[in-house]
Formats: sequence, structure tokens, C-alpha cells
Amino acid sequence: MGARRVRKYLRQGFAMLKGMAVTFRYLFRPPITVMYPEQKRPAVQPRFKGRHWLTLYEDTMERCVGCELCVIVCPSQAIYVKAAENTPEHQVSKGERYAEDFQINELRCIFCGLCEEACPTGAIVLGREYELAGYTRESMIYTKPMLTEPYPGASGRDPKREV
Amino acid sequence: MNDQSRVTLTIDGTPITVPKGTTLYQAAKRSGIEIPIFCYHDRMPPLGACRMCLVKVEKMAKLQTSCTLEALEGMVVDTTTPEVKSGQEAILEFLLINHPLDCPICDKGGECPLQDQTFKFGPGRSRFVEAKRDFAKPVSLGPVLVLDRERCILCWRCVRFGEIVAGDDALKGFERGFHSEINTPFTLPVRSKFIGNTIGICPVGALTAKSYRFIARPWDNQPVQSTCTLCGVGCAVEFDVRGGKITRTRPYEDPAVNDVWLCDLGFFGHTFVHHEGRLRRPLVRREGGFAETTWDDALALIASRLERSSGPRVAMLGGARLTNEDGYVATRFFRSVVRTPHLDHRVDALARGPDLRMSWGMTTAIEDLARADCLLLVGCDITETYPVIWLRMKQAVDRGAALITVGTRSLEIKPSVRWQFLHRRTHGAEVMRALGESVRGSPPRGTVEDIDREVIAAAAAALGAASRPVVMVGREAMDAPDGWEILLAAGEICRKIGVALNVMRGKGNAYGASLAGILPDAAPGGRPLEEAAAELRNLWGEVNEGSGMTAPEIIEAAAAGGLDVLYVAGADPANDVPDRERWRAARARVPFVVVHDAFLSETAQSADVVLPALVAAEKDGTVLSIEGRVRRVRAAAQGPGEARADGTIFAALAARLGKTMGYSSWEEIFNEMRELIPGLALDGRMVSRHPPMDAAPDMGRAWIQDAQGYPFALILGDVLFDRGALMARSPTIADLAGEPWALIHPDDAATLGTVEGDSVVLSSRRGSVAVRARFSASIRPGEVYLPRGYDAAPANRLVDAREPLTYVQVRVLVPATT
Repeated sequence: MGARRVRKYLRQGFAMLKGMAVTFRYLFRPPITVMYPEQKRPAVQPRFKGRHWLTLYEDTMERCVGCELCVIVCPSQAIYVKAAENTPEHQVSKGERYAEDFQINELRCIFCGLCEEACPTGAIVLGREYELAGYTRESMIYTKPMLTEPYPGASGRDPKREV
Repeated sequence: MNDQSRVTLTIDGTPITVPKGTTLYQAAKRSGIEIPIFCYHDRMPPLGACRMCLVKVEKMAKLQTSCTLEALEGMVVDTTTPEVKSGQEAILEFLLINHPLDCPICDKGGECPLQDQTFKFGPGRSRFVEAKRDFAKPVSLGPVLVLDRERCILCWRCVRFGEIVAGDDALKGFERGFHSEINTPFTLPVRSKFIGNTIGICPVGALTAKSYRFIARPWDNQPVQSTCTLCGVGCAVEFDVRGGKITRTRPYEDPAVNDVWLCDLGFFGHTFVHHEGRLRRPLVRREGGFAETTWDDALALIASRLERSSGPRVAMLGGARLTNEDGYVATRFFRSVVRTPHLDHRVDALARGPDLRMSWGMTTAIEDLARADCLLLVGCDITETYPVIWLRMKQAVDRGAALITVGTRSLEIKPSVRWQFLHRRTHGAEVMRALGESVRGSPPRGTVEDIDREVIAAAAAALGAASRPVVMVGREAMDAPDGWEILLAAGEICRKIGVALNVMRGKGNAYGASLAGILPDAAPGGRPLEEAAAELRNLWGEVNEGSGMTAPEIIEAAAAGGLDVLYVAGADPANDVPDRERWRAARARVPFVVVHDAFLSETAQSADVVLPALVAAEKDGTVLSIEGRVRRVRAAAQGPGEARADGTIFAALAARLGKTMGYSSWEEIFNEMRELIPGLALDGRMVSRHPPMDAAPDMGRAWIQDAQGYPFALILGDVLFDRGALMARSPTIADLAGEPWALIHPDDAATLGTVEGDSVVLSSRRGSVAVRARFSASIRPGEVYLPRGYDAAPANRLVDAREPLTYVQVRVLVPATT
């Protein structure tokens, strides 16, 4: 057995020990994983993209004007919007146009956030909620009442922001 | 070497040779260089209002507008230098000072030239921080149009469209400078038949359609190229479809037919397709009412009735709403399965007039109308019947063609008319004969219908001297008491000047129905029955190749109890026949009536079985236009419920009667038609040949009667916007049509004591209708004009078809005071 060969085995053995050292180090630390769903983390990362919200202005007017820019930008074609005209008796959003129907297929969505980026009024936002599951496909098509935040700011976004 | 009529110039370093008179913009476009434009539209002369098309021309001090500058020999033009770039950016920055940039809620967003040009040529940012111009919006300009003045960039395209292309001056510019805005004269609702086009050519979202307001985005729409079948011109259209529904209709460029235009009927008349009242399931009459049933039951019932009656005791009416292929299958079904020769699509024809003797349609190509140098319209209200054809005629008039009209009324196109000869309802033939005598003949002196014969001679001289004259005869002339004589006189004029007559008659696919053979006296393609009989037997098996009854004869035979089954497909005889009383009598005596229709029309309501049919926008196939052009229709939508195409229904019935008519596609039917009809080809023209006209039957003058108690002669006419079975269900058209109306001369109105808009009742010996009175000096005193097509005031309720002329009395409905 030549000296070169001995050096080689030593080097390989050392590398293995080095790797195992990392393993052993973590073995004695408290685990990062949590016992989901019994146990949950307090918050996700600030840039996390979860379920969609249609946000409101402070005065509860809908931000969405039904422009369908989210529809055309969506890479997975998960959004359907049907617009209608505001009337003085039925003023839903500011301006002339509002979304009469707004549906997002959360099964199709890839949570890329392009809709949020394209939205000219900051109406559609991706929220914190990540627990998106259902027993039927139909239940995963979120309709407008499901998407609209229940009160201004409920989605976690400042209702006073401009866009 | 250098051709005098061509010039060579350099654009962006590339030499290009163009005909003299070409503008720089057009020259650049030909060599594939894009110059941004707003005000320039290539169907209208250049204006130079928007300054967007600036280019640098060598040796010229400033930037030049390329849409107005003519290309000259040796010019050196640059479209991309920094100077040009900064010029374009500056213009866009100016245009956007007051443009609201509300693209997210603008219907034009996504297909907006201003958006696109700003993206491509604009500066990307604006230096203006001041408040933008603020107008109240949106402004409604009538039933169709919505104006947003903030978005308008004052390119004048819409105004010039009304001045140059349509000739109706529907929109005008008001105020000056900063306050400039587009509006209608006197801010009344828009009065135009072509206003939909201004929506299309508006380079921003200033003019938008009410019917399309916020309905869809350009990227939602799936375009389906098809043909409009509402009037007969056969304009190429594009249906935009979203989620299986037609959201809007747009013109599709076709230089031979509609160029890039469409009329408002084409733009807004297709919404009936998705009306909730569409029939979805077969209906069978049971104990006085209708009951929905299955196709199996309905077809079995019809088949058993057809089996029980011998062939010639069955008759078929209608066909103008079918495609050529459906019509052909109908012909085959009735001639070879039912074996009856009684089938006719000319439901609205008069028995006494020349309607049934002429083949309907144009001999002149629509395209050639623009090059005509003299146009004679006889009893033909072109804008009300075939509006897009008028746009071609307008081009001819603008090039100096003389327009001569002969009729009972002063038409909407009067400003373009050089000689207008008005006559009493009963005296059209005299004017036409006077005109004919003066064409290449010596004019006698005197007057006809208060018209100096020298004036007639002047018009006749223009007609005689023309090298490309066009003569059109319309339904109003053919239905006149002396319709035969008018037509003979028109034929005589045509013979003298060496042109063929254009018979401006027929709606929808009436021409295709003739082509397909829904005629009692002709085989498919208009061929004589004896000649085609062998071929028909070869293709179809047993065939009844006899001559049958025409539509009026069918109705008379039915009224006399001579029919067992009356089959109606793609027609509404109750409203279409000239004389409703005769239809009632016919309906009462026929034991079994089958109707194919999209809606429960007047006729369907009295039927025994009603089968839900698809409409043209839901079918694939071909139709024939008024000029005989074979046009493709494509299915833009699926039919409602269980509705089927007429051809499919006939094939299913044939199967129940033990005959196979197995066609798997429209192409198969079309190819079979091509075997029978020489010259039939997609986009080809089938020019109708008129049979030689013999002398008019002598009707004497007995019909100029002294109608006691009924002082007004009734003139019936077709109007573009009506409230018939289909259009009443197209909300925009129903709005445009308004309530049923009649025209009364102001002098008569004064005698009657009516006020414009009053409800009046027109009554004849036969019946009466209630309409709104409209006053107009465009008709003569002593005559009343009533439009057809209003189901609430059906004109045929007044008419006794045996009388050549209907006289009516007008009574004012005085509102009941309590």
C-alpha cells in the first residue's frame, strides 16, 4: 500500500467525518420542522404569496375596476373577470366600471404574483394564507364574495395606500 | 427611361419607385416602413390634423407631415432620425396632456392606436403635472353611441367619415381650441345608418358602443370570420365571441363587397342570436296550447302527417333565412321525398306585380358601382334596404356621377341626387316612359307629373351619354299599381343604353334560396326543370319535376282547402305576405302547419308543430349575396337547447319517410350543388339572368278609384331598423327603430289636426294599425308612408292584395280625458 493511497483514504475519511459533524451538530439542536397542522408557525415571510384577496378602499369601495389586466397577464389562465357599469344607484367601485364577476381557480394558480403586479389599482393582492385545500375542484374556484376582503384592511394591506 | 407617371425617392436609405401623387406615408407603407398616424385613414383624403406622422425631408427646413406631402422625384426622407424621434415624442406628449389615461376602464384598451403608438414611439414620461381637462362623461349620443370627450384627441376621423364616406354628417366638431369637442348637430341623438363605423375608426376610446360597453376585452374575444345575412348585401364580418356568445360584430375587410365598412344593422343587429326567447325544444299543439316535446315525437308526428297526404297536397314556404346548403336539402326533401312541386321562398311577393317574373338580384358588381358615371334609382330606397351599397354609390357621386331618382318620396340621400323625379303612387310608369322616350330620342314638350319634360330630357341625356350607367329598380316600384309598366319602361331604358337591370329585391339569403331551387318553376341554379330532371333523378332518385304553385298561389290554394300540410321554414308568412287576411284564411283551412323558426313568431304561434332552428350565425355553409357572390358563413356560437339546422331536420324527416339524405358536412352538400349548378364556386359570382319581359298585363286605369272616406293612398316601404321577429329581439336595433310610425305630409297633418308624435290610427277597408305620426315633406300630400317590419303595426293588415292600391283614412287618437 503506497503512501499516496493512504493519503487518499485519510482525505476521504476526513471528509466523511466533516459531513457527519454537521449532521451530529443538528442532531442535538431543537428541530426546525413543526408538527403541522397541530402546531403552526407564527408568520410566513414578508414576501410570501398566498391566497388572493380583492381589497377595498377605506370607504369600502371596491378597488377592482374590472380591467382584466390580471386575466391577460396570468400565465396559468386562472382568472375570469366579467365587467359591468356602475350606476349612481349601484356604485361599486370608483369610476365607471367594476367587476361584476371575479373568479380565480386556486388549483390552477401558480402563485407567481403577476396579477398583483399588473393591477393598476392595487385591487388584487396575494395574502398570507397558505392553507388552500378542498374536497372538490369546484370549491377551489374562488368567487367574488370569497375573494373580496370582509372589511377594509382585512387582507393585511393598508386600505389607505394608493396602489 | 424614367416613366413620367412614376417617381423615385429614398426613404430611410432605401430607394423606392411609386406612382406620381402618392403621399410619403403611403410610399413608406409600401416599403414596409411604419410611420405612426392618427388622423389619416386610407379610405379618406389626408388632413394633417394630428401631426403624428412627422418625417424629415432633406432640404426642407422643418419636419413634414408625411400623410399630406406628395412624394416627388429625388426626395430623401428619414423617418428615424433623432429629430424625427423627438418630434414624434413631443406630439405624443402633447396628445397625452389631456388624455385621461383611464385605459383600464376604457373599451378601446388593448386595441387602441394611441396606446400602441405611445408604447412604440412615445417618450415614456410626461413633464406635465397640471390638472387634466375634466368633462362630464360618458355622454350618450343616441341609442348606439357613447362619447367620452376627455379621451378625444380631435383627429376628426368620425366627422370626416360622416362628410366623406357616408354623406350623412352625423357628427360635427364644435367650439375652438382647448374647448373643441365632437357632438351631433343640435346635440340631438345621432341620425345615421353607419355610425358603428366611427367606433371602429376612432383611434382612441372616445366613441364606444353602448352594446359593447365593458362586455369584453380584446383578449377575451375569439374572432370568427363570417358573413352578415341581415339584408342581402353579404358584407364580410367578424363575430367576436367570448364564452360562446357573440360580444360584437365588426366589418372584415373585403374590397369587393363592403370594403372596410358595415351598416348599423350589421354592427348591432346580431344580438337576437342570444335572446332568451329562442326556441330550445320542439313544440307540439295540444288542447289549444303548445307543449314541449322531444325531437323523436315531433318528427314522428310530422312524418306520419306527410305520409298520409299525397305529395302535391303538401306545400313549402320560406327559405330566405336558410343557408344555401339548407335550402338545397329542403329542395331535395320536398321534390324527391315528399314529391311536391309547390315550394317557394318568395313569401312576400305580390301575385299581380312583376315580383314573380323577375329573378331578384344585381347584375352589376357592387365593386363596379364606385366607377359608375350615371345611376338611376327607380323606387329604390337604397339606404333603407341595402345601405352598404350606398357607400359605393356615394363614391361614384363624389367622382361626378349623376344620380337620378324616380319615386314617390324624397330620399335620405337627396343632397347627393342631381335629378329627383317625384310622382304620385299611381303615375310612376308615366315618368319612366317619359324618361325612356328622351333617352336617345327627341323629347316632346310639356310636363309629366308637374315635371318639365326638358328636365327629364336633361337627365335622360346624362343617362344616354354615360359610359358606365347603372339602373336599379326597387321593391317600391315593383309593388306599385303600375309596377309592371315601370319595370317595362326601366327595361326599355336598359336596352337603349345597353346595360342589364338590377332588381333590388329580396332580403337575407333570398338569392341563395333561388339558387338552391326553392322555386316552383326552376331546378337548383335557376335551370329549367325539364333540362335538369334527368340529373336530379340521377342524384336524388324519384323526383317530382313538375311546375308548382308560387307563394301567392300556395296561399290561395290553402285558403281553398287544397292543402293537407303547409311547411314553413325560415320565414314568417303571417307578417311577410302582402295581405294578412289571405294568410289567415289559408291558415284556417290547412289542417297541419309545421314551422321552423328561432322564435315563436306570429306564424309559429298558429302552427301545429314548431321546430327550433339555428340561425345563420350558428351554422357553417354558404349564402348568396344580392350580387350573386357565394359567401361563407361560419358558426360563431352554438345554438340554444336542442335547436338544429334546417338541413339536419329535413334529413331526419327523410330518414323517417324511408329515404336517405346522408350528408355529413356542408362541403358535401356544396359539392353536390356544384354538380348540378354550373359555375358555382366559393367566392364566385352567379349573376342572375332576367327572363325576357313581355307586355304588361293590361290593368287599365280602373284602380285609380275614388275611395270615399279613405282619402290617403298608402305607400309601403322597407326600413333598415324595424321591429320584426328578429330585430325586436336585438335591443339596439329595436331602440333605433322606435315605435311603429307613419309619415304624413305636414299639410295633411294640419288638416287632421295632429301633432308630431301623436298616436294615429290608419284604417283601410281591411283593418287598422296604430302608429306614431311623423311629419315630413318628403312625401306628397294625400299619401301616407308606412314602413313594413313592425310586428306591432303590421302593414299587411291594411292591404287587400286584390286591389292594386290601398287607400286609408287617418284618425287621431285623442287621449281619453277623465
